[in-house]
Amino acid sequence: MSAAAAAKEVGGRLAAAEPLNATLHWSQALLDAEAARVDAAPAAGALGGMPVALKDNIVTVEQPTTCGSRILEGYTSPFTATAVGRLREAGAMIAAKTNMDEFAMGSSTEHSAFGRVRNPIDPERVPGGSSGGSAALVAAGVVPAALGSETGGSVRQPASFCGVVGMKPSYGRVSRYGLVAFGSSLDCISVFSRTVADAGRVLSVMTGHDPLDATTLDRPPMPVPTPLADLRGLRVGLPREYYPADLHPGVGAALQRTRAAIVELGGEVCEVSLPHSPYAVPTYYIVAPAEAAANLARYDGVRYGPRKVGPEGDIRALYQATRGEGFGAEVRRRILVGTYVLSAGYYDAYYRKAQRVRALIAEDFRQVFASGVDFLLTPTTPTPAFRAGEKTGDPVAMYLADIFVCAVSLAGLPAVSLPVGRSEGLPVGAQLIAPFFEDERLLAAAAAIERAVPAGAEVR
Amino acid sequence: MSIGRDEVLHVARLAELAVREGELDRLVDQMNRIVDYVAQLDRVPADRMTAPFLPGPASAALREDVPGPVPLARPPAELAPEFAEGFFLVPRHGAMEES
Repeated sequence: MSAAAAAKEVGGRLAAAEPLNATLHWSQALLDAEAARVDAAPAAGALGGMPVALKDNIVTVEQPTTCGSRILEGYTSPFTATAVGRLREAGAMIAAKTNMDEFAMGSSTEHSAFGRVRNPIDPERVPGGSSGGSAALVAAGVVPAALGSETGGSVRQPASFCGVVGMKPSYGRVSRYGLVAFGSSLDCISVFSRTVADAGRVLSVMTGHDPLDATTLDRPPMPVPTPLADLRGLRVGLPREYYPADLHPGVGAALQRTRAAIVELGGEVCEVSLPHSPYAVPTYYIVAPAEAAANLARYDGVRYGPRKVGPEGDIRALYQATRGEGFGAEVRRRILVGTYVLSAGYYDAYYRKAQRVRALIAEDFRQVFASGVDFLLTPTTPTPAFRAGEKTGDPVAMYLADIFVCAVSLAGLPAVSLPVGRSEGLPVGAQLIAPFFEDERLLAAAAAIERAVPAGAEVR
Repeated sequence: MSIGRDEVLHVARLAELAVREGELDRLVDQMNRIVDYVAQLDRVPADRMTAPFLPGPASAALREDVPGPVPLARPPAELAPEFAEGFFLVPRHGAMEES
C-alpha cells in the first residue's frame, strides 16, 4: 500500500476515534503531505511509512504545541524535535498530536485543559497518564505506534491501563531537543506500540547522540533488538516491595502467570529486595515539582501564549495573572510545592534529602543487578485502570497510581510495560526492568515473554 | 509541619502565581496533605545518606562551547515584528516607562 493510501486510512480512523478525545491537532492535509514525502523518498526507510502520533509536548513546526495547557494556546514551535526528524528520516508519517495531562503532570489524563481522554477498553475509565492520548490511539488501533514522554512513569502506566506496550529507554538514550521540559533530571521521550518489535524499531531510529542535547549519551544508536528464543541462562528478580499483600488480585494473578511463563522459557526466577523503593513516590513528588517550578518559570505571558494584565498594571501583576489563569489546578499545585521545597529554610529538609534518598533508590538497583540478576519483573500498576473522577479530589491518591514506576525513573533505568492479561476485562501490565543502557537486551527478552503470555486472556 | 494561608500566599508570590481567594483554603489543605506525605522521607536513616544522585553515566558528554547555527525553520528576524542586534523588540510596558 502506498503511503498516500495509508494516510487516508489513518485519517478515517482518527476521525472515528474523536469520541476518545485523544487528539489535540491533526488534519488530513498534513497527513497527505507526510505521505507525499514518504512516497517520494528513494527508499522506504526502517519504518516504511509507519504512522506515528506525538504527545503534544514534542514540537513540530507544522502543528501547534500546547502541552495540554491554555498557557500555550496558539503556540507553534519554530523548530522540530530531533526525535521527530529522525522518525521522518526513517520513513515514518507523523499522524497527530495527542492529548495529555497539562505539562505531563498527572496519572489519568484528566488534567488536560482540553478535556479528559477516554480509555478505549472502557470509556468510563481513565487511560492513565500523562501520555493518555498516545496510549489510547495505539490501543484503539488508530496508529501502530506513538511517542509519549516519561518523567515518573507517564508511558508505562498508561500502557498498562490501555493494554499496549510502553517502553521507557535509559535516561539520555533519546534526544530531548524539542521535548518541552518538565523535570530535566528525569524526562525521557518514550514509545507506545502494539508489539515489542515495533517499540524496538521506533526506539532504534531515535537513539544516539544529538549535539543539540548535551544530556544525550555519546554512544552508538541502539540496534533493532533480535527477539530471544527463550530465557535460558537469565535470572529474573522479583523485588518483594513490589508485591504487597494488598495487591489487586487480578494484577497478582497476571504477574503469577508471567512468572510461570518465564520459568517455562528457561529463565530462573528469584526473590530480591529494593528496600528504598517504597520511598520513590515521596522522593519523586519533591524532585519533580522542584524541577518543574524552575522549568515552568518561562511561561510568563511575555514569551509564549495568551497574556493577562493584572489589576495593578505592572509587570509582576502581568506574570501573576497570566500564570494564575493560564495554568490548571494540578500544575499550579506542583509549582507551589516545588517552590516551597526549594525555598529558604526548607531546601535541606526536603530537596536535599530527596536527592539523597534518590541515590539510595538507584544504589538498590545497582546492587541487585551486580548480584547477577539480569532483569526485574514487577506489576506496572497496583490496579487496572480506575474510573474517571475517582482520584481527582485527592492528589496523593492519584500520585500512588505511579507507585511501581517512579523508582525506575529516579534511577534513570530502561523499563518496558507489557500487557500480560485482563482482569474483569481490563488490561494488566507487567514491568520488566534492565540495567542502565541495556535497552536492546531488555526488548529482546520482552519479545520472548510477549510470545509466551496471552495478553488478551482473562486471568483467574 | 503545618502550612498556613500566609505561607501559601508567600510561596505563590515567589512563584509569580496569582491565587484566588476562593481557592486558597483548598490549596492550603492540599499542600499540607502533600507535604505531610513527602515528610515520610524523615524515616530514612540519616546514616544511610549518600551523595546526591545524577542520572546516567558519571561523565555526561557535554558538547563543545562553540556557537553554531540555530536550527530554526525560520530565521529569528522573521519570528517577531521587530528584531535587532540579536534581540526581539517589544512595545514598552506602561509601568516600565516610568522607571
